[in-house]
Amino acid sequence: MSEEIGPLQKFLRGRGMRKLRRDRMALAALSVIGLYLLIALSVMAGVLDNADVFDRVGPDNVAGFWGTQDGERRLDHHQLRIERVERAAKTTDPTKSLAEFRLGGLRASAGTPEEVLGRVEEAWRALDAVAAYDELDVSPEVGPLFEELDAKVAALYEEPAGFAGFVQSLRMSLGTDRQGRSILFRALYSTKVAVQIGVVASLISVLLGTLLGAAAGYFGGWVDHAVVWLYSTFSSIPWIVLLMVLAAMFRGGALDGTLIPVYAAFCMSFWISPCRVVRGEVMKLKELEYVQAASAIGFGRVRILLKHVVPNTAHLMFINFSLLFIGAIKAEVILSFLGLGVKNEPSWGVMINQAKAEVLNGFFWQIGTATALMVVLVLAFNILSDALQDAFDPKHV
Amino acid sequence: MWTYVARKLLYNIPVYLGIILFLMLALRVNDPAYAFLGKNAKPEDLLAIRAQLGLDQPFFMQYLEVLSFDFSIESWANKGLKVSDMLRASIVPSLSITLPALFLTSIISVSIAIISAYFRGRGVDRSLMVLAVVGMSVSFLVYIIFGQYWGAYLLTREGGIDAFAIGGFEPGLTHWRYYCLLPVLISVIVSMGYDTRFYRSVMVEESSRDYITTAVAKGAGKRKVMFVHMLKNAMIPIITRIMTTLPFLIMGSLLLEVYFNIPGMGRVLYKAIQEQDFPVIQSFVVIFAAFFILSNILTDVLYALVDPRVRLS
Repeated sequence: MSEEIGPLQKFLRGRGMRKLRRDRMALAALSVIGLYLLIALSVMAGVLDNADVFDRVGPDNVAGFWGTQDGERRLDHHQLRIERVERAAKTTDPTKSLAEFRLGGLRASAGTPEEVLGRVEEAWRALDAVAAYDELDVSPEVGPLFEELDAKVAALYEEPAGFAGFVQSLRMSLGTDRQGRSILFRALYSTKVAVQIGVVASLISVLLGTLLGAAAGYFGGWVDHAVVWLYSTFSSIPWIVLLMVLAAMFRGGALDGTLIPVYAAFCMSFWISPCRVVRGEVMKLKELEYVQAASAIGFGRVRILLKHVVPNTAHLMFINFSLLFIGAIKAEVILSFLGLGVKNEPSWGVMINQAKAEVLNGFFWQIGTATALMVVLVLAFNILSDALQDAFDPKHV
Repeated sequence: MWTYVARKLLYNIPVYLGIILFLMLALRVNDPAYAFLGKNAKPEDLLAIRAQLGLDQPFFMQYLEVLSFDFSIESWANKGLKVSDMLRASIVPSLSITLPALFLTSIISVSIAIISAYFRGRGVDRSLMVLAVVGMSVSFLVYIIFGQYWGAYLLTREGGIDAFAIGGFEPGLTHWRYYCLLPVLISVIVSMGYDTRFYRSVMVEESSRDYITTAVAKGAGKRKVMFVHMLKNAMIPIITRIMTTLPFLIMGSLLLEVYFNIPGMGRVLYKAIQEQDFPVIQSFVVIFAAFFILSNILTDVLYALVDPRVRLS
């Protein structure tokens, strides 16, 4: 009984893979990565839409966990919520604009425009009653007045039930950014951007690097010289300089605003390390008996290279993919800082860069959320890379 | 030895020519004169500014022009300022951050690595390595933002200790602590994770060699083996590592320079890109690449000095 097994199955059943499966840390890291992948896929599937990410849901810089807010901020929040409904009720076609009205996920509660305006009027009165006090957090009389205001404002909105209510409670759970947008949803959406950039940039770089490196190592001669010259050249351009030159190159161009400048910036420098490693490995592999046997049978050189040599560098491809993924996620932050980063979409880099100004006011929710999500993913990939290296490349320093 | 140096120099010439070619082409994808003057530029202004830099010449002539290393050209954004003067003014601020940072990072990382390797596999080692990996997973920018907030802002405002500047730079040793120490410390913390892990694995690798077994068999104590036998041999990869990080230093501090308003080379380049100041961008990029290549050659040569086997390959 002979079973035909492809190179991938061979790789998956190999000794390294068995070793990896016994590594508990690596499995934990893999499941964390799986979780992030799941989040990214559900964002891609449209679980979060643009409104979740770009629309104001509350006042600026609300603290997370339905935070300990002082009276002033609570008042601001209520004022915003009343103003929004009032504005919708006072348009030329109030019935339509009230039906279309959304604040975050909240709808205005049902009723004719006149009824709504009546409720708005009551809410304003309750608000004025509270605002009459100077020291909101000290005066004991404010408590009941605030409760009344809470009730009046709540009456303006339809209480979401069931799952919608759950989503609504999540929306503000980690606070809002400087433009009153949900930090949690933006951070979750950024997971998609990070995974997308990581996968595309690392995949292209690894494939490109492997192909060039394998060709250089296998064919030798002028191919080798050309590839070595190419990677010496690219690795001699300081990485940040390369990024900045690309920033200057893409600025104002047709591709500005897409992710393509980001991919280009990463791939330009990321292909080098897999290329180097694979070239060295292939030079070693091509001297082995099985390659000589293959050429003795009469297989062509390209076929030997692609079917017999390159699959045996699969472990290097996996290790490099994992390392480059980390590089891509971390570099995205710096890229955003340089102004070449992600545009028209939230990303961890965009969030951290926006949070610079908030930190000086002692507001840490945005930078904290983005950093925490990023650290967990990068940590998981770091652990995975270590485990992969231990399992497949034990001699590596 | 000298043939080796000559070979290295010759080998790097085509590499450098390639770099300049690529960078010059990349910088010319968008018309630099147009990018600087904006949409409403007058045609005669565009022509004048192009002629000033020879941008109207054929590309080959421009290539030769750049390779003549004439940096006395004038900046577009800062009228009357020569690029060579900007370069001269920015070297000292850059180096006053990167050199101390490199020095401190290396010493601290090697020390931690020794501790870690000494207690290999035990709790100390594990917790140090976990700390290193976690430290590596946080973004550079986050370190800078929090470092500036706690060290320069909060300490001054809440603690009343004006130990570090929130930004700015003054030359001179007396001002160094106030303006540069905080960025240096941040830089040390950022690179410590990577370096410690590398140095530890170097030492662990070294500790499995035959000469260590021999030393142990002859009855040398663990401490003596670690510090006398092992550290001496581990110095080769350590020095190589330090040398190879040298060229990254100028650029490595770019973020720090921008955040702390230190007028170093990185910040000058950053500002030039913001202002589309083409003469400055092109000259700085050319200089950076030259510096990079030179330090690469230096690394190779030093490496060959330490390890004679390299020269033969």
